[in-house]
Amino acid sequence: MLLSDLNVGDKALVKGLHAQNAVRRRILDMGLIAGTRFKVLRVAPLGDPLELVFKGIHVTLRKSEAAGIEVEKAGENGDAVPMGQERRKRSSGR
Amino acid sequence: MVQRKEIRVALAGNPNCGKSSLFNALTGAHQRVGNFSGVTIEKHEGFVDYGSYRIRFVDLPGTYSLTAYSPEELVARNYLIEDPPDVVVNVVEGPNIERNLLLTLQLMEMEVELLVALNMYDEVEAEGIEIDVKQLQRLLGCHIIPTSAKKKQGIDSLLDHVVRVYEGDIEIKKNKLAFRQELEQAVDTITGMLVDEPELGKYNRRWLAIKLLENDKEVYNVVRQYPVWVKTGQALQQIMQETATLYKTDPETGITEDRYAYIRGAMQECVRFPREKKQSLTDYIDSVVLNRVLGFPIFLFIVWLIFHMTFTLGTPLMDGLDSLFGQLSVSVSPFLPNETLRSILVDGIIAGVGGVLVFLPNILLLFLGLSFLEASGYMARAAFVVDKVMHRFGLHGKSFIPMITGFGCSIPAIMATRTLKSPSDRLATIMIIPFMSCGAKLPVYVLLAGAFFAPSVAANVMFGIYVFGIAVGLLTALAMKKTILKSDSEPFVMELPPYRWPSFQSVIVQAMRKALMYLKKAGTIILLAVLLIWFFSNYPKNPELDAELDRRIAEIEMTVTEEGQKEEAIAAAENIIASEQLEYSIAGRAGKLLEPVIRPLGFDWRIGVALATGLVAKEVVVSTMGTIYSLGETDETSIELKSILKNDPGFDPATALSLMVFVLLYIPCVAAVSVMRKEIGDWKAVVYYSIYALAVAWIFSFITFRAASMLL
Repeated sequence: MLLSDLNVGDKALVKGLHAQNAVRRRILDMGLIAGTRFKVLRVAPLGDPLELVFKGIHVTLRKSEAAGIEVEKAGENGDAVPMGQERRKRSSGR
Repeated sequence: MVQRKEIRVALAGNPNCGKSSLFNALTGAHQRVGNFSGVTIEKHEGFVDYGSYRIRFVDLPGTYSLTAYSPEELVARNYLIEDPPDVVVNVVEGPNIERNLLLTLQLMEMEVELLVALNMYDEVEAEGIEIDVKQLQRLLGCHIIPTSAKKKQGIDSLLDHVVRVYEGDIEIKKNKLAFRQELEQAVDTITGMLVDEPELGKYNRRWLAIKLLENDKEVYNVVRQYPVWVKTGQALQQIMQETATLYKTDPETGITEDRYAYIRGAMQECVRFPREKKQSLTDYIDSVVLNRVLGFPIFLFIVWLIFHMTFTLGTPLMDGLDSLFGQLSVSVSPFLPNETLRSILVDGIIAGVGGVLVFLPNILLLFLGLSFLEASGYMARAAFVVDKVMHRFGLHGKSFIPMITGFGCSIPAIMATRTLKSPSDRLATIMIIPFMSCGAKLPVYVLLAGAFFAPSVAANVMFGIYVFGIAVGLLTALAMKKTILKSDSEPFVMELPPYRWPSFQSVIVQAMRKALMYLKKAGTIILLAVLLIWFFSNYPKNPELDAELDRRIAEIEMTVTEEGQKEEAIAAAENIIASEQLEYSIAGRAGKLLEPVIRPLGFDWRIGVALATGLVAKEVVVSTMGTIYSLGETDETSIELKSILKNDPGFDPATALSLMVFVLLYIPCVAAVSVMRKEIGDWKAVVYYSIYALAVAWIFSFITFRAASMLL
């Protein structure tokens, strides 16, 4: 699955990268390489970008960039609704 | 005097590693800011005398890596290759040592004379992280000096080691990172081929080989110039294919993974983190500041606070400066019997340059606020919060702060775009800033909206103008990003650094630096432009008008007896003559020449002249209109000018609206244009931009005028 499919609170493991060029390089430089375990910490108030935490550092990335990272869920599930749907859900609930 | 030996040292490190603070702690007051050649990336240089040495430091831009993907990284590594320093001090953020070591490894690959400053060591100790410095030194093959720039610890030891590295007086053996076997073989093969090319002598061949395997465009372009490329290119292609089929990856990823594997090994061997990681202050603050519900309001509040501070504290200072320049004009005038000289000095220089200098307190305060936000770590969060909106228009989250700064003044706004790393993001942001209606345009709106609309409508008109500017700006950004600036937007893959209380000194220094840049501008190009416009609107003199004025005054002296009336009549006569003189001048003639072009917008030559002089500063539009419509001193509250405009047959609400739109959109003032030039580094772009702004202004004014003429 892709990082962009994860929910807030999910823990996962990086499997590989589809991203290219500058985005790919930046992801590698931040340390999001295969085998890195991370947690999706939060989504920005407007629903994009995301914030991940791993190895004690906090890294942000847009959903479009997160879609370039292949991941595998690890550890317990998150407790939040899917990231893209949260806003819609909230507004339709009103 | 003793001749000191010079040691040239480069400071390299990640963003937020405390490099600049360390640079300040090392060099104190001996600093100079310039640019790296060919780019607008700041180059900070400084020196310190230590023993019999003068150690010169260059602060390289903060980078995570040394690839060809960002201008900062290119500048840093080109500096190390083209102008190799004697020693490279790699500043490592102690608490975040793992990620920071990636750069260290890449510096090792370049085989520079390396020294590591393990910075923020006080925080390392406070957090209970244990680092086996001795063992880490062996693994990295260089000395590691624990430092704390904040507490001024380890500075002498660092300087001492710089000297020792320079003199070759070290006992640690250099180390080399070996990649996995197949990669190592590939690196060896390529290195062996490159050694045959003597022209590549200034490069470390192994480093070139690694970079080629990493698909580094810049290095490709270098090596491609030489005959050795024929062989190397083929070999590379073969290696790429092999790794793809055999290992299902590419060498670039493999190399990065191996670097991290080495780092992981080093971390396991040398670093112990405390078992219980307590929730840090940063986590607490972020859980509020980045909260899904509160995040956005808090962000808006902080931005509001900064601007509120800037303007409430700045305005009294600004008024003070303003009256100071007024005083200066008044007190200087009597000493200048020569009328021309007085006019140059008082109407030209003091009025023009003074008009620019009065913004200095605002600029200083704004940058104090922005530097504080940047250094504390909130700026990255602000970008995180607004990125979605900005990205929709092809901009970056970090474009937001410069954009809204534009409502105050374009100059600091354009300077604030330096936080944007990608040239295309930066260019797009710079180009839309002038559409954010700046403070100097406000007097024009106040005058026109006040003259032609009822007070309740006037406020809406002004608000509408501001919103319209934002819309044009964002659409401009979108259009540019879709066409000419398609390339390389900066990824939003960024680190949110932990919050830190910024050092008072560095915040002040930052803000002062921006203020100085602004002052320098006012002293040079703006002065020149002001003089030119003064000349154009005063020459050629019509001697007949002077005679006419004398004649009229004499007539008034004869006919009017009461003192008060006499003075008034003389002033009125002087104004009429001044207005006729302006019509006679180059500016007036140019205005008339231009009239056919601006006629469709509802403007006559007088407005043309006002708009042209408005290039000095937008509020000048109002004072020029005052002169042309034969009034003395004018400002936007002048009831007289308002009623004159109202009664002028050439002026109606449609003209007023059209003029407001034109002032909003046309070429920014000379000061802003020159800052633009400096920040973009290219006149051509500025010229294209000016043409664009004029075209946009003309088109929208035309539409406004036609529509308003029909509707109103």
